Amino acid sequence: MNEKAGLQALIRNFSIIAHIDHGKSTLADRLLEATGTVAVRDMEEQILDNMDLERERGITIKARAVRMNYRARDGKDYVFNLIDTPGHVDFNYEVSRSLNACEGALLVVDATQGIEAQTLANAYLAVDAGLEIVPVVNKIDLPSADVEGCRKEIEDIIGIPAEGCPAVSAKLGLNIEDVLEAVITDIPAPKGDPEAPLKALIFDSYYDSYLGVVVYIRVVDGVLRPGDRIRLMSSGARFDITAVGYMEPLGLSPSDSVSAGEVGYFTASIKTVTDTRVGDTVTLDCDPADTPLPGFQAVHPMVFAGIYPEDGARYGDLRDALEKLRLNDASLTFEPETSTALGFGFRCGFLGLLHMEIIEERLEREFNLDLITTAPSVIYEVTMRDGSERKIDNPSSFPAGDSVTEAREPIVKASIITPSEYVGGLMDLCQDRRGIFADMKYLDEKRVELHYELPLNEIIYDFFDALKSRSRGYASLDYEFSEYRPSKLVKLDFLLNGEQVDALSFIVHEEKAYARARKIAERLKENIPRQLFEIPIQAAIGSKIIARETVKALRKDVLAKCYGGDITRKKKLLEKQKEGKKKMRKLGSVQVSPEAFMAVLRLGDDDS
Amino acid sequence: MALTNAKPPIGIYIHIPFCRSKCEYCDFCSFVPNNISVIEHYTDSLILQMEDWSEKCKNRRVDSVYIGGGTPTYLDPKHICRILNALYDNFKVPRSAEISIECNPATADFKSLRKLRAAGINRLSIGLQSANENELRALGRTHTFKQFCETFENARRAGFDNINVDIMYGIPEQTEKSFAYTLSEVTKLSPEHISLYALKIEDGTPFALKKDSLRLPDDDAVYEMYVNAVKYLETRGYERYEISNFAKRGSACLHNLRYWHCDEYLGLGASASSYFDGERFTTTRDIRKYIDGIEIIDSDIDIVVERDRINSAASMDEYVMLGMRLEEGVSVKDFEERFGEPFADKYGKQLDEYVEDGFVIADGESYRFTTAGMFVSNYILAGILDLGQKD
Repeated sequence: MNEKAGLQALIRNFSIIAHIDHGKSTLADRLLEATGTVAVRDMEEQILDNMDLERERGITIKARAVRMNYRARDGKDYVFNLIDTPGHVDFNYEVSRSLNACEGALLVVDATQGIEAQTLANAYLAVDAGLEIVPVVNKIDLPSADVEGCRKEIEDIIGIPAEGCPAVSAKLGLNIEDVLEAVITDIPAPKGDPEAPLKALIFDSYYDSYLGVVVYIRVVDGVLRPGDRIRLMSSGARFDITAVGYMEPLGLSPSDSVSAGEVGYFTASIKTVTDTRVGDTVTLDCDPADTPLPGFQAVHPMVFAGIYPEDGARYGDLRDALEKLRLNDASLTFEPETSTALGFGFRCGFLGLLHMEIIEERLEREFNLDLITTAPSVIYEVTMRDGSERKIDNPSSFPAGDSVTEAREPIVKASIITPSEYVGGLMDLCQDRRGIFADMKYLDEKRVELHYELPLNEIIYDFFDALKSRSRGYASLDYEFSEYRPSKLVKLDFLLNGEQVDALSFIVHEEKAYARARKIAERLKENIPRQLFEIPIQAAIGSKIIARETVKALRKDVLAKCYGGDITRKKKLLEKQKEGKKKMRKLGSVQVSPEAFMAVLRLGDDDS
Repeated sequence: MALTNAKPPIGIYIHIPFCRSKCEYCDFCSFVPNNISVIEHYTDSLILQMEDWSEKCKNRRVDSVYIGGGTPTYLDPKHICRILNALYDNFKVPRSAEISIECNPATADFKSLRKLRAAGINRLSIGLQSANENELRALGRTHTFKQFCETFENARRAGFDNINVDIMYGIPEQTEKSFAYTLSEVTKLSPEHISLYALKIEDGTPFALKKDSLRLPDDDAVYEMYVNAVKYLETRGYERYEISNFAKRGSACLHNLRYWHCDEYLGLGASASSYFDGERFTTTRDIRKYIDGIEIIDSDIDIVVERDRINSAASMDEYVMLGMRLEEGVSVKDFEERFGEPFADKYGKQLDEYVEDGFVIADGESYRFTTAGMFVSNYILAGILDLGQKD
């Protein structure tokens, strides 16, 4: 025990934080390589990003942790625990928990890009968590790299010393040892009390079909051993530990114990990750700690959408797939939902748009499902005339106008960092999206940080794409939930051939209703194929029609020469047509292809 | 010959894949040959292919022959005569058989037409497409309307008393008025038969590449052109017997009807399709491969690129798909005799749904499309046919 306590001096627990694409995962790979943790022949590009999706998108979706051994220039053998963090605003809470498991963080900044919104947001999170920050300037191999400029920016904007900080090329493996040495000299060793009652922070977990849930922890005080009975302090759930150990890059490595200062895992025959929420504190049932570690929050989904199988017969497959994903993703919620237009599906809750896209993509890719997804929505709060309160996550259940005394919508605090030449366009965008300007400051001569309060429902309506297109891809965005505020919200419905299509309804601010109604009606007109009868398209608020379009009746399809008796060709044409028809959804009496449906729902204001 | 050996008669299609120039909308198997020897080789191959099929067809009377292209009259009449002679040698072609050939204006003069007529060809199909010079140019045609008139006159003088004229609508630059002009000019000449084809922009053609810059009439205008044409041609004595085909009484094209009636035919030459002994198959479009596959003895080149045995479900689908193209439509009694299944269960009930809106006429004995129905027949047929897919 004493021996282990002495070893804390040789442990360094740290994260890598960065804006997307600044090279976080590549740097992690180089560290693994340089410490000999992974033999070069075992190296796969970006080993910390296990999911294909992560590797393709170059983002880390879930936190991962890995243990490394490093013999430093001082001749001592150190243990490094690298805790990787997600790099996207949707996963801010997970980032903050991961940071709480560390004493320090490497802040990676791309020498060609400088500081971006997420660099700043993550750096502030790290500062809030009391972490020592070690700046690392990356991509120095690129011709446009400006190492000194980047260092100066870090000092000026974040306010931490950066002079002489490691300047590396993670891609080429340049100066990686400087980073390892800086970890030892600049990041403090953990100072836990191995004799105190157990306190361990859960910072990640995943479901394994053999082991049950594998829980990643940082032990702050005390020791955890197999056979211990533990208690999770926020949920009160109790489990018997079956195994503990360390995370090696290529798998779990069991040990006798995990003690104060260390990062490791445990298993306890836990069946779902929802029982082991990130941020919860693990303690011993027989000798519990007095107080849990600070900062636990139950994460709640912010964005909701209906997900339906394109082929109604695959409803069961979709349910199974969602259940499998939820085993590993406590922030995904879903419950069955029925739409007259789309049939049986699920109303799913996500942390944000990226989270939603990831889930959609995993459903399609890993489970081979073709999906129809409705427009994303946020949760609205409504006070009814009878005084009751309701939370609405599905536009089709939004109560009729006169039964509501007040409707409230979620507002976020958004921070946008952009080259100064795009400030005007972006302020117009925020204004147009009902943003309230908070402040603006120049980070340096060329870059500006804008703060706005924005309704979340405007952000999920194509805001990110609009931001990128108005800044030629240079602006970056970060936001956090602020509060619910009263708002003049209306429910916009669409009728095809006189019948309301529930899946097309959405909630919109009164001022935006007309423009958006016209836009969607136009888009419907463009995307609904002509049919044998004329199809009126109407947009309505309550019983008031505010926009209309018409799809003219089909009068002609192809009558090509059926040449030289090539009947097979003619038949193939009809087969193709039938194939397309089979996929069509009946929206009332109108046939609409899933592509058309999605095209309508995916539209944004900046779409041409 | 014993009656038991007699199988139903067949038609023969012969493909000539050569043209003077390639039209920009054309997706058919044709090209401009760069030397005369490929034409000779091709003719030799056609004759060899006839010899190959001779035995298998010995119990089948051939009552229609159709020489199509390309531009068959691009060939020197002596090649066509060689082909015809081989045909008579290898198949049973009675004198009463309908023997058609396609030609383009200005590719056949009076002398050649007379030779073709003398060789037994009794029906001529001339590709005019339009009587308006700007439209002909837009299509990439290399003849004028005047040249067409000359060819038509020559054909009459050469003894052709059964002539078809191909006309297209929905083409660049065309208006309802200019189309009506084409129809009136053509009917003045009083051909026995008129085919009206809507332009379809096929992938891979020059038209597909410049689709957006083509000044095409819109779908509604195209619909009006067709509807007005049907009415107009009726007043001039032409009855529509199939979606695209109009004829004076007794002049319907027997060979075309064979396709719509699901009767069998043998296709010879590159890209030709056949329906023979219950099987549909198509020959390669690659002329080199076609010639090699036939000329090289014991070659392992299979000139058939697609083969499809038609089971009874597919056969029913085809019968309806093709039969519904005809003015007479599909006779319930004929269908039930042919397939031994009630028509109503399979297709009738679904077709009934289109009666009320005026797309289908059902009189108890047969089902057929109205003019409006014909124009959206793909849409309707894609809904009611099985096409090997489960609903």
